[in-house]
Amino acid sequence: MSAGSSAIGGSLRHAGGIGQRLTGAVLRWPASVRVAAAVLAVLVVGALASDVIAPLDDRAVDLDNVLAAPSWSYLLGTDEVGRDLLARVLHGVRISLAIAVFAALAAVVAGALVGVIAGTMGGKIDAVAMRATDVFASQNHFLLGILLLVLFRPALGGAGAIMLAVGLTHWPSLARIVRGELMSVRERPFVAAAVGGGAGRLRLARRHYVPHLMPAVGLAFVLTVPHAIFHESAYSFLGLGLEPHRASLGNILSDGQRSLLAGGWWIALFPGLAILLAAMTIGTLAEYWREHLHPRWRSELEL
Amino acid sequence: MTALLEVTGLSVGFRTRRGVVQALSDASITLEQGELLLVVGESGSGKTVLAHSLLRLLPRNVDVTGSIRLGGQEVLELRSGELRRIRGRRIALIPQSPASSLNPVRRLGGQLVEAARARGLSDEESRRRLRELLGELGLDFGFIADRYVHQLSGGMQQRVVNAMALVGHPDLVIADEPTSGLDSDLVDATAAQLQAISARGASLLVITHDLRLAERLGGRLALLYASRIVEVGPTAAFFRGPAHPYGRELLRALPEREGKSIPGLSPELTALPAHCAFAPRCPDRFDRCTEAVPDLYPLAGGVHARCFAHAEC
Repeated sequence: MSAGSSAIGGSLRHAGGIGQRLTGAVLRWPASVRVAAAVLAVLVVGALASDVIAPLDDRAVDLDNVLAAPSWSYLLGTDEVGRDLLARVLHGVRISLAIAVFAALAAVVAGALVGVIAGTMGGKIDAVAMRATDVFASQNHFLLGILLLVLFRPALGGAGAIMLAVGLTHWPSLARIVRGELMSVRERPFVAAAVGGGAGRLRLARRHYVPHLMPAVGLAFVLTVPHAIFHESAYSFLGLGLEPHRASLGNILSDGQRSLLAGGWWIALFPGLAILLAAMTIGTLAEYWREHLHPRWRSELEL
Repeated sequence: MTALLEVTGLSVGFRTRRGVVQALSDASITLEQGELLLVVGESGSGKTVLAHSLLRLLPRNVDVTGSIRLGGQEVLELRSGELRRIRGRRIALIPQSPASSLNPVRRLGGQLVEAARARGLSDEESRRRLRELLGELGLDFGFIADRYVHQLSGGMQQRVVNAMALVGHPDLVIADEPTSGLDSDLVDATAAQLQAISARGASLLVITHDLRLAERLGGRLALLYASRIVEVGPTAAFFRGPAHPYGRELLRALPEREGKSIPGLSPELTALPAHCAFAPRCPDRFDRCTEAVPDLYPLAGGVHARCFAHAEC
């Protein structure tokens, strides 16, 4: 590299390593985003370290401490068979979050695939793919999910069936977003330039369309995660999701609903709070990211 | 020896809701190996459509008739796989506006290497050749490679797309408005680069409405008006004295000559007249001019002009 170009290079690059840049980014975050990130970090770390903080044994029944209110020996109390609620909620966050992440991933990958194929191929394939999308989108996705659960739970188990059900019911909106973005990207001059340089459909899709779609797809993924948590909870609450003894947030909530009449308010409160916090924090971060991707929207709102 | 590129009777029409837009009518050009041809005309005269037809980069709502032969091979009959092997390898396009012709969300290194590999070069060979090509244009591949297109100046962007076009040793390079939006220093630099491309032995087709650039580059010149080639001949002969009245009026309109604009407007492409399209604005028109479309009549010195004034020559 010549002396002149390296001087330009220095000024174009961000100063400092990744650590410093990350710190810089965090310092620019508004307070609400920082609080959300911190709460989410506590939830995730708690969930990941749940085996250390509060080991879980689904069969650790303690009939002397049934429905014990929160105390120093049981921070969040116990459930109707005397199991430590802290352990169950932390593990519940872990199980529900894991299911939600994979379910959202399935939905996003399926949707992106359909959208990219439809948008790249065009013509009849596009028409068929988009009408299929309409058919899926026109059904009540919650009921469709229940149908899929009933069909696949015996074969895949509760967790697998929920991922499949959420994945198969949430791809249509993303397929439409991806196809729409693609329609606008493909009209841009660099696509014509690439075609003029000998690029075929596959290379266009891989090298030019997909990189442009990544922000939208990533954002859709993050926004689908809290939604998938709701689905997991709702299905489990209805007894259609995870097997009843497993500590998912929906299952604990379902137990808590029975104990509510016996005065055990904490059993329903804490898993509900966990769902609320996870959804709110992820939503807040996603919203900030969206503004970051489309600064124009923000400036229009502030005018 | 057959010419590298032989376009005969090429007509391109776009089917739109307002009727057929005739972008190019009965255009014929030939280009020998190593020759330089300038295609000059105002906006909407069909220049870019001509360039894009050579690579078949046209939308679906288009009707193309005529023939485009590249080294004896009919381009209009190629299947998509064969077409891809011609694009970039035999005919390279230097697109209009480099800034928007490079992918804004990918680093340039990846895009350059990908372009080279699409032309059949190995990874190592690609890098070596790009280093060499960019070096000749005064750029460092390592510097360019990890940048995004918006981090380069307009002149650097232009040089990057030039290098990208040359990487596959094409027989024919098409430059579409290579100087639009550049300041005069960059126009000079671009002209020098185009001359260098031509000096390497590649044939060069330059689309431009910049008459000063055309005069500098020399070679041969084809003048388009309202979808038709109205004059073809050596560039030097054109600037000494155009054979077609439109050419004469165009040169008079240059600020450094008389700066006198041509009265009237060019015709709508949806309703081209069945006579000489320039007749309504022509100072020298006579009866025949509004009765039929003139042919391209041959004149002395290899000049052809589509004007009845030369019909007797």
